[in-house]
Amino acid sequence: MKTCCSSPPPKTASPPRPAEAQHAQPPTATAPVIALAGNPNVGKSTLFNALTGARQHVGNWPGKTVERKEGIARIHDRDLTIVDLPGTYSLNAYSSEEIITRDFLVNEHPSLVIAVVDAANLERNLYLVVQVLELGVPLLLALNMADAAHKRGLRFDLPALSERLGGVPVVETVGSRNQGVDALRERIHECLSRPAAPPQVAIDYGQPLEREIAALEKRIAADPILSRQFRPRWLALKLLENDEDLRARLEGAGYQELLAAADQAAARVAEQSGEDPETLITDRRYTFIADVLRGVVQRTHDNGETLSDKIDRVAAHPFWGVPIFALAMWVVFQFTARVSAPFVDWIAAVLEGPLSDWTLALLDVLRLGHSWVASLLVEGVIAGVGGVVAFVPVLASLYLAMAILEDTGYMARSALVMDGVMRKIGLHGKSFLPLVVGFGCTVPAVYATRTLENETDRKLTGFLTPFISCGARLPVYVVFSAAFFGAHAGSFIFALYVLGIAVALGTGWLLKHTVYRHVPPQPLVLEMPPYRLPNWPNIARQVWTRTKSFLHNASTIILMSSVVIWLLLALPSRPGVGRVADVPPHDSVFGVVSRALAPLFKPAGFGAWEASGSLMTGFVAKEVVISTMSQLYVDEPSTDQAPLEAERPDLLADLGEIARSFGQATLLTFQEAVNIAPRTLSLLPGVHLPELNAFTPSEAEEADNTRTLELALQREFTQSAGSPARGELAAAAFNVFVLLYVPCTATVAAMRQEFGTRWTLTQMAYALGVAWLFAVLAYQGGLLLGVA
Amino acid sequence: MATVLRQVLQMFERAEAPLSVRQMARELEITPAMLDGMLAYWVRKGKLRRVQPGQACGTCGKAARCPLVAHLPPAYELVREGEPPLPPCPLSEEHHAN
Repeated sequence: MKTCCSSPPPKTASPPRPAEAQHAQPPTATAPVIALAGNPNVGKSTLFNALTGARQHVGNWPGKTVERKEGIARIHDRDLTIVDLPGTYSLNAYSSEEIITRDFLVNEHPSLVIAVVDAANLERNLYLVVQVLELGVPLLLALNMADAAHKRGLRFDLPALSERLGGVPVVETVGSRNQGVDALRERIHECLSRPAAPPQVAIDYGQPLEREIAALEKRIAADPILSRQFRPRWLALKLLENDEDLRARLEGAGYQELLAAADQAAARVAEQSGEDPETLITDRRYTFIADVLRGVVQRTHDNGETLSDKIDRVAAHPFWGVPIFALAMWVVFQFTARVSAPFVDWIAAVLEGPLSDWTLALLDVLRLGHSWVASLLVEGVIAGVGGVVAFVPVLASLYLAMAILEDTGYMARSALVMDGVMRKIGLHGKSFLPLVVGFGCTVPAVYATRTLENETDRKLTGFLTPFISCGARLPVYVVFSAAFFGAHAGSFIFALYVLGIAVALGTGWLLKHTVYRHVPPQPLVLEMPPYRLPNWPNIARQVWTRTKSFLHNASTIILMSSVVIWLLLALPSRPGVGRVADVPPHDSVFGVVSRALAPLFKPAGFGAWEASGSLMTGFVAKEVVISTMSQLYVDEPSTDQAPLEAERPDLLADLGEIARSFGQATLLTFQEAVNIAPRTLSLLPGVHLPELNAFTPSEAEEADNTRTLELALQREFTQSAGSPARGELAAAAFNVFVLLYVPCTATVAAMRQEFGTRWTLTQMAYALGVAWLFAVLAYQGGLLLGVA
Repeated sequence: MATVLRQVLQMFERAEAPLSVRQMARELEITPAMLDGMLAYWVRKGKLRRVQPGQACGTCGKAARCPLVAHLPPAYELVREGEPPLPPCPLSEEHHAN
């Protein structure tokens, strides 16, 4: 009956892998076995390699996919078998790694266990060490990665630590640099040279636990099979901890009575202490660890407060954190709008000029110069897709700024600060996560609401996410701010982002106090990474991946939309107004539909049909607003030269001009980047720092560089509103509408999938209403205030 | 008196504002490394959940490669009784901007 209550002993590893077999050298039968145990990522394998060199043998643990590494170490002319056990945090049976480690220590009776711990995280790592101590196996403690701990100002009193752990030898090592490995070898030799003596340390679990442990221990000790296989106190603890793996094995071996006694004991402990035994035992172990380390670990250059803590006292402060976050965002949008602008102009100039000319020249050669093909390629594809591609520098700048914030650890703090703001308004603390995700793209933000376990919270947060300005809306803001707000472009864009957040929070507050009022907020604890200097290769990788995604979008959705819009612009709305691809835009199918919508926007100052048409297509994707405008305004030439009557291109001259303007854009970008610092500091009252303007183009050059689209926007909005000042107000109102109106089709699909059709239609109607209202308020309010 | 482990859970139940692990450790007068172990204990016991919103809209591993998801810190939260598991994220690896 009672034969064995352990899993098959892992004596034999699976066959070695071919690539490693050449180094494989099975351990000798008589070699003492030494086990390396420790938490994951504490440098255990590095120490294993340092001890064994190339004499290694790699396979799997029997019946598991967990890697088993074994090797031979030669210490004082004696071969020792070193077994690298899987990394585990405890000896509970929650994972395969824990079961393998525990079974090995219990069944294989290694001559010595080397517990490898991360010296900088002793409190957590010692939990496993305490459990190994309770097993009663000979132990040696290696404080690995000691260099990192020293850098953090930690010093260890090794003799005191050894004494408090019942005489366990302790040695400091830095496995990655082979430091302390010789000392470790010496300690191993010493341990093996004397009779095996388990460390004498016992944790006092207090009453009523100790009483029940003693009773169970007595019962186990009376059983010859169990007492031979397990240390009775350890097994008693495991039973009180309700270790399911051990219970199953004991049940299979016929120890039902013992298990029933353990259950009764656990019930008595819970009744008397008001806490379940496992929690009590775990807590006592941590208390023991704290007692062991008291006075053993000294901090030499701080009181446990790191530089990150000091910065956080200000940056993550519940009050000061908010203006600091706002300032950080202001700098991000200054950077995004101003630093990228020279290259936006450069790409646009290349697309509108040489590239269009070369395309037309090539089509002329192919005798397609005046056909619909030329119109499709130049007015449709180059104007439409190119209009969006020109904004790659803007998006790349935004992604760069975001990547720096993420990599340095500030983004995590902003999450903490925003969480506080959200909770003050009454929103769920976790709602900020999807909203922050929404700065990149609204689609994953909608899916990110799944992190909220309550459906009401999910729906509420999902309702707000489209108001957070995604990256796709940025090109619209940039082109308008460049056309109308010049030096204040960054502040204008920043104001739009703030408005988006304000509308989201305001809507949340409104819904929380009307429709969704009963849900209590849930607290959140965040793991804050330490502040660190940016890792530039990592940042470059992130910027490239995100920019590539934007370009991919341009080559699919934007291209398709551009072709469809070109087609709608090319089709006459009725007979007699023109032929296909040769019809005035306002008489095309697109023009007629747009004209029908235009009066709706008259109160917001942008009642021209081109504006309403662009907003209509922006439903596909927000960048398409710009793509459509590029197509519409290319079709309405404002320069002396008709767009499809290109001059005969001079390739060399064009290339020279492209190179020259590239150089100029680079210098201007440098200047704008340098100017961010004085511009930001000048925000302080009474501070006005001069800005670098060595590379600023002359007024004539600037006029020359102004993009066709920007000029067209200035002209059209001014004309539609009645004056340049009113045109500026109308442009601001248009951007407000773009910020707030219905999300793109991809977001609508995601919202429908997550929250249903009715909810999605409600959100869209609300967003349209709010967008219209705010756009009208922006325009009419500006007029009332005498801005225009 | 409640054990320190129990106090960790009680802090989640009573917290009025979001906390960082270090702040919580300071209030409990333990080291962040020890609190880390205690949080892991409650996660194992199913009382807390660790979410990693920065990597996967909080729910799936695939979206870790989603280029448009901002990287945010992992967070711990209480698991309510009878709460259903989080649904998987439907975003594919080839997710594109709107």
